[in-house]
Amino acid sequence: MSCVKRQIADLVEYGLCAALVVSLPPEATAQQHAFQQDPVDQYMSRFLTVVILIGLGLVLWSLSRYRGRDIGAISWGFLIAGTSIFPMMLTGVGTILALERVRTVPLCGSCHLTMRSYVDDMMNPESNSLAAVHYTNRYIAENQCYECHTSYGMLGTLEAKKQGVIDVYKYYTHTFQLPLQLRHPYRDGDCLKCHAGATKWIAAHEESQQRIFAGELTCMQCHRETNPAHHQTLEAREFNP
Amino acid sequence: MSTPSVRTIELDPRIIRWTLISAQVLALTVYLLGAGFLLRTSGGTLFLFSVVAPAMVLLATLALAGVALYRYLRRSSLFAFALFEPGDIILQQGDQGDFAYFIQQGEVEVFRRDTEVETVIARLKKGQHFGETALISNAPHHATVRARTRVRVAMLGKRKFLHMLRFVHPAQGDLMSTMNQQATRQAAKRAKAAAQSRKD
Repeated sequence: MSCVKRQIADLVEYGLCAALVVSLPPEATAQQHAFQQDPVDQYMSRFLTVVILIGLGLVLWSLSRYRGRDIGAISWGFLIAGTSIFPMMLTGVGTILALERVRTVPLCGSCHLTMRSYVDDMMNPESNSLAAVHYTNRYIAENQCYECHTSYGMLGTLEAKKQGVIDVYKYYTHTFQLPLQLRHPYRDGDCLKCHAGATKWIAAHEESQQRIFAGELTCMQCHRETNPAHHQTLEAREFNP
Repeated sequence: MSTPSVRTIELDPRIIRWTLISAQVLALTVYLLGAGFLLRTSGGTLFLFSVVAPAMVLLATLALAGVALYRYLRRSSLFAFALFEPGDIILQQGDQGDFAYFIQQGEVEVFRRDTEVETVIARLKKGQHFGETALISNAPHHATVRARTRVRVAMLGKRKFLHMLRFVHPAQGDLMSTMNQQATRQAAKRAKAAAQSRKD
């Protein structure tokens, strides 16, 4: 009995040590200041790391101790906790983190063959693209890709998820075509939701704002030439066979 | 005479064991997908974690719930069930009684063997029962029961049977009546056999 207790104590100790090591912020976020870190991401990541480690410990312990046999209440406790409760916590709470991370620039950039060039251009202080101007001047504080490319509402979200799954499929099967094309014409609302009403914008668009609001004139009709939304780098253009 | 080949109607323990192991492997995969998503968030890991992992959790939980339900039903069930093929001996004359048998399907014959002579005492079918006398009298079975057709029986253990007799009076009456009928039939057969031997 004391041997079992010692093994459990060891397991808990190793688990906690591993949780502390793994839950340290990754290198990319370590370069950020504390005030720039997303608290939801930070605490959720740590919580989920602990959930994963405890869950893994429970399942591995149960497998090695009982080898699939259900003998008594303790084995059922391990089974239910490790196989059902902790995985449910992981996927349930993880969904909140997924919804947070799905908006981040690193996630968009993770599809590096297609998106990396856009992200590189956006982060380039010497670029004059609209994305770079907004990003380098911190006109948008965070989730810069998401802020300019999400014009869908409640129903549109389902459509966006479906398109996202198609995008993932195309990316991993290399069936995408470069240069990437927007599925729909860019909506002026995504610019105007921030700019409309701003003093500087009103002053610059005094004559044209009624036509813009009426949909007779689009933002890109004027700004495409002077400040294109993105510059596509050579890397992305050359990938397309 | 065919050898007894009781086939109780229950899941193979190996199936239950592998179901539980599969559920645990699914859970392990979910943890690994979760770790992959946490450590390196990309379109692929996000897709696996948010679409594939919940499906795996659902499967693992359903497997676990299925086994738990099966165990609960087995534990709380009053009866055990068994199948016998034609010719199988269900209970043997002279053996101690462990169960009362209730025929759910098929037909059996009850016979005694006295000095190498087999005398068929009764034929029982769906809805009738046997084996209870040995439980009540705490004596060995006075006859052998053999399956005539493919037989499915519900088996009630001795402890549960005696417990039921104590509390369920209609069952007590029914069983006593069956026992009386059997005793009357046996007495009539013996009387007939005695009269026949006197005539000879």
